[in-house]
Amino acid sequence: MTPTRETFGNIPLSSQLAFYALAAVAVGIFCWGVWRRWKLWQIGQPIGFRELITGNLLAVWKNFRPGAQRVALDAGAQQRVRGHGLGTVAHLSLYVGFMALFAGTTLLELDNILSHLSEAFKFHRGLYYVVYEYTLDYLGLAFLAGTLFFCWRRFRKPAALGHRASDWYVLLSFLAIGVTGYLVEALRILWSQPTGITAHCSPVGLWLAGQLGSYTVSEARSAHFAVWWIHAFLAFGFFASIPFTRLFHFVAGPMNIFLAQPGLGSLVPVTMEEVEKTERVGVNDIRHFSIQQLLSLDACMECGRCEEVCPATASGKPLSPKRVVQDLKGLMEETATGLAAGKKEFRALHEDTIKAETLWSCTACSACVNTCPVRIDQLGLIISMRRHLVAEGGLSGTAATALRRMQSNANPWGLPPAERANWLDGLATKS
Amino acid sequence: MSTAPELPAAPTVKENPSFEILYWVGCAASYDRRAQRVARAVVRLLNHAKVNFAILGREEKCTGDSARRLGDEFLFQELATANIETLGKYNVKRIVAACPHCVNALLKDYSQFGGQYEVVHHTQLLADLIKQGRLPAVPGAAPAPAGNVTYHDPCYLARVNGIHEAPREVLSAALGGKSLCEMKRNRTGTSCCGAGGGRMWMEEDPKQRVSTERAAEALGTGAKTVAVGCPFCLTMMTDGVAANNGTDVRVMDVAELLVEKLGL
Repeated sequence: MTPTRETFGNIPLSSQLAFYALAAVAVGIFCWGVWRRWKLWQIGQPIGFRELITGNLLAVWKNFRPGAQRVALDAGAQQRVRGHGLGTVAHLSLYVGFMALFAGTTLLELDNILSHLSEAFKFHRGLYYVVYEYTLDYLGLAFLAGTLFFCWRRFRKPAALGHRASDWYVLLSFLAIGVTGYLVEALRILWSQPTGITAHCSPVGLWLAGQLGSYTVSEARSAHFAVWWIHAFLAFGFFASIPFTRLFHFVAGPMNIFLAQPGLGSLVPVTMEEVEKTERVGVNDIRHFSIQQLLSLDACMECGRCEEVCPATASGKPLSPKRVVQDLKGLMEETATGLAAGKKEFRALHEDTIKAETLWSCTACSACVNTCPVRIDQLGLIISMRRHLVAEGGLSGTAATALRRMQSNANPWGLPPAERANWLDGLATKS
Repeated sequence: MSTAPELPAAPTVKENPSFEILYWVGCAASYDRRAQRVARAVVRLLNHAKVNFAILGREEKCTGDSARRLGDEFLFQELATANIETLGKYNVKRIVAACPHCVNALLKDYSQFGGQYEVVHHTQLLADLIKQGRLPAVPGAAPAPAGNVTYHDPCYLARVNGIHEAPREVLSAALGGKSLCEMKRNRTGTSCCGAGGGRMWMEEDPKQRVSTERAAEALGTGAKTVAVGCPFCLTMMTDGVAANNGTDVRVMDVAELLVEKLGL
């Protein structure tokens, strides 16, 4: 007998229809949630979206390629998640398990649609079926192992990591989805009684079926039906909640990686034309950031890697790159909500949200930018706010003196330009 | 290839108009007494290797790196425009600088304003000269420094511009093959000395000094010499070592250690 299993086996047509209706609701909530965040970012300065898609296909591909490559390597191949010990391993494990299960479910649905057209199109059988079941059965364990690690880490509450109540919803629902997935499989094995390779290609499910004890076929069918629905509800709940929880990094992370300025050491210049047009230098309002910069705030997972490498944080200064990103995100939400309600006055960006001493604490060392898994440019955010402070005369003390000296003497020491080559005098002697 | 004998040790672009590479001295090495010694070490090495170079002398201005990172974009642009004009006037194509902030500004900031140059850090040029056999030791040269040596990667060299092997190659020659005692945070994962982003020019609470923490890490390797590749790091690490009571520990630029080894 060809190894396979019936899709929607033991699930009556009415439940199948309800399943698709719920799937549509979940997708609808997801899209609405993403659209809400998208609308939020639009309060920022426009970026060249249009330029990205102008020209023939070749030109468009040329524009897309660098970003697409970054997404493929940084996110797809998880390269930017590397370098954080067990956290990296756990994320990779969770990610691979999740992506495999997600792809598996998609393939299953594709097979379902095709087999409705003709039985001949059904591919979920034979060797493919065996490999599919075997692979997903083990990768499900990877998914659970990763989830368990993150539960344990969250339980310990490391200081650099951000914490929200919804994190527990996400992690516990991942655990429940994994466990109920295996239970559905085990109960399916109990009522369908597969033999040979068809049974053994689901090793975890088969083992669990053995642990469940003696079920009659009809008992197993009832239990399977019930757990199948629980599993479906959990999965839809998870999908719908993506834009409302930390899981939103699934969407905003790759988007930011795609749009981010690659490479360190460059800053976006300010032009005189720009200043004449906008009558401002730098950022004085959350709406002065670009759409991409606002989007990057939503990509932040509060993983805290930036904070861990920040020399200002480490030396007790009032700066954490993560805090800056999160505080700006809060202001973005507040301002967008206020705008929608017709408000004209908003909490100020400078001082009320980000203190000047926070901005001055940065050494521009770029460690945070370099380590961020989703390529948030914390330094770019900080410098654009510093620009406003400097333009408003907000810099005082020795640094302001250094700037004045650079202006007057072309060196921050303020020594005469005529003495610039005096260091040569010592060349005759060995010092 | 060799500079004409009548030329001074570090000729200006006017004195040596046929120069092949410009040595960008930078403000720190021009005015800071300690960093001036690094500039002199660089010049000794360039002359020893018979490199045909020149300096801008009084015509050189601050690159504006600190100004740009402090947020004074227009002061930066003013300085950048002036420097780009001067560099254009003397048809400068290749630049060597001993300051990673100058390297980054000349390479990445100036290219946004029409200044396109091949820019190398002095450790890159020195590593090449060593490979070409152009930096032989003089007779009776000093032995490698006693005690362990560690190297502090400057952020704008290692992390921002990916230059971390060249300084190690030069150090390997300067230490006669003796290996470095690496800090845990090295190369692109280096940790700041505290001077970047214009912090060099700010007062810092002694209890909150970035340099103290980083110097402690350097001393933790058991090093008696802390090598650096940046004049700002030189200042900061010197202060940091002092703050950690590292009285018998010296902070030296890579070029100075090479000069010592070669006996120049």
